[in-house]
Amino acid sequence: MKYDIYLVGVGGQGVLTIGEIIGDAAIQAGIPANFYPTKGMAQRGGFVKAQLKLGRARVGPQIPERGADLVIGTELSEALKAVRYVRPGGEFLLYGHVWEPTAVMLGKAPYPTREQVLEQVQAAGATARYLDPAQLPTHDGRPVPINLYVLGAAVGQTALGGAGGHEPLLDVESVGRLIAGRWKRGVEANVLAFQAGAAGK
Amino acid sequence: METKILTGNEALAWGALRAGVRVVTGYPGTPSTGALERLLTMDLPGRHVEWSTNEKVAFEIAAGAAWAGHRALCTMKMSGVNVAYDSIISIAYSGVNGGLVIYAADDPGVSAGMCEQDSRGFALMSDLPVLEPSSVAETYDLIQVAFDLSERTGTPVFLRSVTALTSSSAPVQVDEPRPPAEREPILERDIARYTKAGAVICMNQHRDVIARLEKAGRIIDQLGLNVLRLAPVTGGLGIIAAGVVGSYLEEALEVAAGHGMDLDALSVLEVKATHPFPTQAVRQLLNHCSSILVLEELEPYLEQNVVIQAQRTGFSGGIVGKLEGPLERIGEYGQDQVLQGLSTALGLSLPLGQGNASINPEKLAAARPITVCAGCPHRGTFLAINQALRKLKLKRDQVMVTGDIGCTILGMNPPFDTVWNEVSMGASIGLAQGYVHAGLKNPVIATIGDSTFFHGGIPGLVNAVQHQVNLTLIIMDNGWTAMTGMQVNPGTADCFQPPFGRRVDIAAIVPALGVDHFFTMDPFDLRESTATVQRALELPGVKVILARQECAIQAIRQGKQAGSVRVVADKCNLCKLCIIATGCPAIDLGEDTIVIDPSLCYGCGLCAAICNRDAIIQEPV
Repeated sequence: MKYDIYLVGVGGQGVLTIGEIIGDAAIQAGIPANFYPTKGMAQRGGFVKAQLKLGRARVGPQIPERGADLVIGTELSEALKAVRYVRPGGEFLLYGHVWEPTAVMLGKAPYPTREQVLEQVQAAGATARYLDPAQLPTHDGRPVPINLYVLGAAVGQTALGGAGGHEPLLDVESVGRLIAGRWKRGVEANVLAFQAGAAGK
Repeated sequence: METKILTGNEALAWGALRAGVRVVTGYPGTPSTGALERLLTMDLPGRHVEWSTNEKVAFEIAAGAAWAGHRALCTMKMSGVNVAYDSIISIAYSGVNGGLVIYAADDPGVSAGMCEQDSRGFALMSDLPVLEPSSVAETYDLIQVAFDLSERTGTPVFLRSVTALTSSSAPVQVDEPRPPAEREPILERDIARYTKAGAVICMNQHRDVIARLEKAGRIIDQLGLNVLRLAPVTGGLGIIAAGVVGSYLEEALEVAAGHGMDLDALSVLEVKATHPFPTQAVRQLLNHCSSILVLEELEPYLEQNVVIQAQRTGFSGGIVGKLEGPLERIGEYGQDQVLQGLSTALGLSLPLGQGNASINPEKLAAARPITVCAGCPHRGTFLAINQALRKLKLKRDQVMVTGDIGCTILGMNPPFDTVWNEVSMGASIGLAQGYVHAGLKNPVIATIGDSTFFHGGIPGLVNAVQHQVNLTLIIMDNGWTAMTGMQVNPGTADCFQPPFGRRVDIAAIVPALGVDHFFTMDPFDLRESTATVQRALELPGVKVILARQECAIQAIRQGKQAGSVRVVADKCNLCKLCIIATGCPAIDLGEDTIVIDPSLCYGCGLCAAICNRDAIIQEPV
């Protein structure tokens, strides 16, 4: 089965890691994957994107506009740059984190509202799934990693993991195992983040 | 054999090891950096891997090893080919003994800045073969073919890739590395081959390099690198797809088939050796088909030759590409470009993803200009330049501050708006001299980073000294080649230099060049730095300021902190001056005061220096 995912966010959020883990999980499950991240020049706080194409033995790295089955956006304003890429009928997973550029912080430049962004997603013909940053769980009093929470939602709440009666490409258990074994530190917080996202909490 | 998930760059590195490469050199530059970087993380006894001072030096080292009979690889981004080219064409004329491969990574779509150049043009000019993979996994195979081809023909070979492949990761079947061949170095004294001494020698070598290219073409045909699939019936469409574009064919044809395209009448030539031109295969295609679609990113090098062959074979059908449209010479290609070409070639109306005019989501997105990191020492230098100009009552829009490649160019962006231009490695120093000779009355300032100074800045400074040009050069030395991901350069501290390597100190080089005035400054000390810049601008002659402070990202990785910064709550009135002036990502607006994020703050204290209410205090750690 072919399934293409377009990811956007801000450097430092770990958005590329989301794509990397989905790609690794797919390859483990015997699904071919090509993962194409673009970091630009930004060390931290700049726009980053990644394109993940699953299920084709021979594949071009880029996803065309209106081509992605799933878009994952981890920053409210940057998510707008991915709206063009979701296919009509596809899903748009939006974590509504706000990372204000300096000019916005100083009140000198506008920043989109959640409603504006969701309107654009709707105009593109996609189903929006909004994740409220206020719902991000904590572990030991600290917020859990955003990216693993969003990854959990991608696997647990979208067609990628079989939501809505689709044939699943990945399942929560095996991706959860991958996460538990990926980093030595913070295993509990990581697994909590992923599971909470997957459960839609 | 083992399956690894590798990037295109890493696949190249593993393939070179499998090919028994002995010497690997390069200069960092996106999108090529990851190849040599991967090799530097490995323990590779019997091989030599290094970041060289610039691409020309890197290529000469690789070429020397290949002349001595060993396999050598030189890696660079497309801009690096420009730097190395003087030696590339000369070595091409002489030929090589051991296999020599130039890994040039082009950046169609410009993911990382710089010109969108097509490096194949260089190969055309120097009669060198070019191999172009269409996937990450193919990179692993083709680099091995490139070494064999180079050794069998005695000519250097370009392995050209593009960002979409160098940065993509995918599963690759990897074999055990092979050690370099055990050969004594060849010492061959042959003036007619290894020098350019005289017309006869040079013209003979020109003849030789062309002959080697022709031989490479025959070997490429024998190896079947370019894959021709002719349709069972004649008279259909023939597609020629180069390198990465071939990887989009399957997807695009699926779409096209759903919209009435007859795939049975389709012939395809996938070109993985784009130079020399695959004349025989193209002629076969022309004889078999009634129209041709040429799909290649950037310049129409293949297409021009297809037109020539069409003329020679009396082909009368249409040739669709970019010479007569609809495809562009600009940007990265994907499924849409293939569909666009198919639409024109077949007179179909295939659905494209792009050009959805009914929505305009980007218009709502907040602008996010990139700026320097929290704790970046360049922030202090930009602030010091701006403050010094103000103290000298010079208007910012009347003082030329030339810029250079690397993190130092971020001074072009707000809140600094200090730097005016960016051309190529080291160009800031030459450009500044040109502005002086043009008759500017105000002082002229050039800015450059440490690695860029080593790479291409030194000749420009020598020129300024020789011709006694009034300018102020500020070398922003953060000790690392930072923008490409923290590579070690000649000026990096000794403890990070390669085994048996040693640091080259800019503070020792610059005075030795005979500059009129040499200053060093700590960019975290804003008052002193401003005074230093002001003093330099007031003096005549060639003035060089070395602004020295380690890259904060690297310093933090070593557990260092420049200081500890805190906000004095009852003094902060939220005037925002610190944010407006420094644009530091570690400072946020709180309810009653500004808030400094301790996880980002390096304690540089520049915000404290800017604050005019003593509301921010920097203390030693």
